Amino acid sequence: MTLARYRDSHKVDFAIVGSGAAGGVMARELARNGFQVVLFEQGPRLGPAQFQHDELSNWFLSGITNDPRVSPQSFRAGVSEPTVVSRFGRNPLFYARMVGGSSAHYTGNYWRFREIDFDERSRVGEISGTGFADWPIRYAELEPYYTKVDWEIGVSGLAGAHPGEPPRSKPYPMPPLPVKSSGVLLERGARKLGLHPFPAPMAINSVPYRGRPGCGHCGFCHGFACEFTAKSSTLFTMIPEAEATGRCEVRPDSYVSRIETNASGRATGVIFVDGHKRTRFQHASAVVVCANGAETPRLLLMSQSVRFPEGLANSSGVVGKYLMFNYSTRTSAVFEHELNEYKSVQVTRILHDFYDSDPKRGFYGGGGIDARIGPQPAVWALRAAEEGPSWGSAYKARLMEFSRSMVIAGHGTSLPVATNSVSLDSELKDAWGMPAIRATYRDHPDDLANARFLQERGVEIAEAAGAIKVMRGPIAEQSFGLHLLGTCRMGDDPGNSVIDRYHRTHDVKNLFLCDGSSFVTSGRGQPTMTIQALAFRAADHIGRFARRGEI
Amino acid sequence: MDKPTATRRSLLQLAGWLGVSLAVSDWEVLAAALQHESGSTSEVGLSLLESGELADLEALTAQIIPTDATPGAREAGVAHFIDRALASFMAPLATQFVAGLRGLRSEVRGRYPEAGSFINLSSSQQIEYLASIEHSAFFASLRLLTVLGMFSNPSYGGNHDEVGWRLLGFQNDHAYSPPFGHYDREYPGFHVSDGAVP
Repeated sequence: MTLARYRDSHKVDFAIVGSGAAGGVMARELARNGFQVVLFEQGPRLGPAQFQHDELSNWFLSGITNDPRVSPQSFRAGVSEPTVVSRFGRNPLFYARMVGGSSAHYTGNYWRFREIDFDERSRVGEISGTGFADWPIRYAELEPYYTKVDWEIGVSGLAGAHPGEPPRSKPYPMPPLPVKSSGVLLERGARKLGLHPFPAPMAINSVPYRGRPGCGHCGFCHGFACEFTAKSSTLFTMIPEAEATGRCEVRPDSYVSRIETNASGRATGVIFVDGHKRTRFQHASAVVVCANGAETPRLLLMSQSVRFPEGLANSSGVVGKYLMFNYSTRTSAVFEHELNEYKSVQVTRILHDFYDSDPKRGFYGGGGIDARIGPQPAVWALRAAEEGPSWGSAYKARLMEFSRSMVIAGHGTSLPVATNSVSLDSELKDAWGMPAIRATYRDHPDDLANARFLQERGVEIAEAAGAIKVMRGPIAEQSFGLHLLGTCRMGDDPGNSVIDRYHRTHDVKNLFLCDGSSFVTSGRGQPTMTIQALAFRAADHIGRFARRGEI
Repeated sequence: MDKPTATRRSLLQLAGWLGVSLAVSDWEVLAAALQHESGSTSEVGLSLLESGELADLEALTAQIIPTDATPGAREAGVAHFIDRALASFMAPLATQFVAGLRGLRSEVRGRYPEAGSFINLSSSQQIEYLASIEHSAFFASLRLLTVLGMFSNPSYGGNHDEVGWRLLGFQNDHAYSPPFGHYDREYPGFHVSDGAVP
C-alpha cells in the first residue's frame, strides 16, 4: 500500500478539517469514491501503545483532550454573567484532540435517533424563547446510513429487542456485549415497573469484527482511547481504510486556522499551521469541515473577510448559535452484593420508555435511561462527595461501597437557545495566536425539569431493583459540555440555518459542514451514531455533486 | 458587574477548574491570603512545602480520608503527592493552594493559640475547624487533591502501594472476563418485554 502524499500546491479534490467521528467517515467515503483527499487533524496521531489507564491525565490534565494551557477557552453562564477563563485542567467545551477525535475517547453508546427527533417541532409546537425547529430530513432518509454505521463502523446490539424501536433494514452485525450486574439490575427494576429495558447498542466489538478483536473488558472506555482497538473509533476503522485507497493523506499536528475564499466567494483551500509551526496553504477544490460543534463554528468565524464580514457562511448570523449539550443526570445506587462495575464497558442495558416528550409532565423533554459504571475510581470518589458526606469517616464509608455501587443515568434533551453559543473571545488567544472560543451556556428551565424527571425515574428503578441505598447526583446549570451540538444548524431556509439538507453551506457552494454542529435538535444524548449516519449520507451527496460538476 | 480583580479572576478560574461555584464569602476567605502571596512558588521541582506546612497538610488530608481499621490518606502518601503535584504537573495551582494553606495555618494559630498549628489540635478540634471551612474554595481544592492523591496511578506519587484502590475494591488488572459481579453470574438471558410501549 502506498500512502498518498500531496504537495500544498497540488489542488486536491477535498480538504477535510477534523479527523473525528464525521471526518473519518467523510475521508473514507470520498477517497473510496475516487477523490483525492487531505484529512487535517490539529492533534497528534497516537496508537495503542500510548493509551494509558490514567484518570489524572485524561480527566484532569487534558492528556488527550483540548488542553487549556495551549487552547484556553472562556465561559459565561449567560451574556451578562462574568467570564471565567480556563487556563489549566480541562476546558468547558471538551473534545479529544487527536486523530480519531472524540470517537477515540467516547463511551460508544450508539442508539439511533428516533422519528420524533427529526419532526418534534411539528408534533409539540413552538416553544417560545427557543429556536426549536424540525430537521429538513427524516429518520427514513437516514435509516440506510444508520445501518451503514452498524456494519461499517461496527456496532454490537440486538435488533428487535425493544418493541418500539424505529424501523431498521438489517440486524446488528455483532451480538450485544456480555451483560453486567448493573444491566441485570436495571432490567430487574424496570421490568417490575412494567418498562421495556433492552441491550444497549454499543460501538464496541463484542466479538472479533473486521480485523479488530473483541472487547477486553478493561473498563476504561469513557474518556480513554482503547488499547485493544475493540472500540470502533474512526482511528481504527474509517481512517486506515481511507488511507488504504492510496488517495487519502492524513495530516496530524496540522491546525487549520482559516478557510480562504476568492473574489467570487468560493473556497480555495485552507491555511494551516504544521507541527513545526510553519504556516502553509493547501489548495483544494472543495472544503468539508468536520471539526466538531465547537471548532467548526470557530473556524468559520475566524475565516471572516471583506466579503464575509460576520464570518464565512454566516449571512444568517446563526453560526455558533443554538449550542446544545444534552443533560445527563445520575442516580447512584448501592446493592447488597458486589457489582464490580469498573470492569467492562460503561453500559449494557438501556430503556427508552421516557423517550418522547409528554405535555402532561408540564415541560418539554424526554430521554433515554441507562445503567452504568459511573466513572473509574478518582472521578467516582469525587462524585460520591457530591451526593452525601464529602469528607471524614462517613465519606470513607461511602467510598468503601464502590464495588457494590452503580449509576442509573438519564440522558435528556437540550432546547436550542440562540444565546447559548460558541463565539470568538475578543481578548483571549491560544498558543498559536488565534482567537479563543468563548462559550456561553445556560440550560433552558425545561431541560432542568426534564433532568429532574429522568432522575426520579432512576430512583424508582433502583428501588424496584432492590437497592439498599439510593442517592441523587446534583442537578445544576451546566458549565461543561462534551456533546457539542447545533452550532451550524441544517435547514431549508438560508435566513435561519447555515447548511442545507445536503450539508452544503447556503453561502459558499464548495464548502460543506458535517458534525454535531449540523444538528437542529439535541436528540436524547448519544449523538455520535447520528453524526456518523449524517456523515455517510453527506458523503454520498457530496460525491454525487462532485461527479456531476455541481461543486 | 465590575471587572473582576486579578484575585477574584484567579479564584474564579480555580473554581471553574474544580467545577464548583463560589459564593462571595468563599473567595473573601482566600482573598486576604492571596494578596499576601508574592508569587514565590514558580520554580518547578519535586517539593514545594516547608516541613511544618507538609505536616499540617498530612493532618488535613487524614481528616478527609481518615485511617481507621483500613488505611487512609496518610498511608496513601497523599500529602507527598500534593506537594509533588504542586511543584510539577499541577504547578499552575500552586500559588492559590499554598496561599490557602498558609491562610488556614495563620487562622488556626489565631483561633487556637495554645495548639499553634493544625497538627497539634485534637482530632475533634480538627474536625470542628474543618466543618467551619468545608464550603470554602480552599477546602474544595484540598479535597480534590486528596482524592486524586488517593486514587490516581501510583506513578504520580500517591496511592502508595495501591492502598486507595484496594480500599475501594478496584483490582487494577488490565482485562477481565464475565461474570463481572454477583448479579450477572446467573443471568437467565434476555427476552423482549411484553406489553404496550408508551
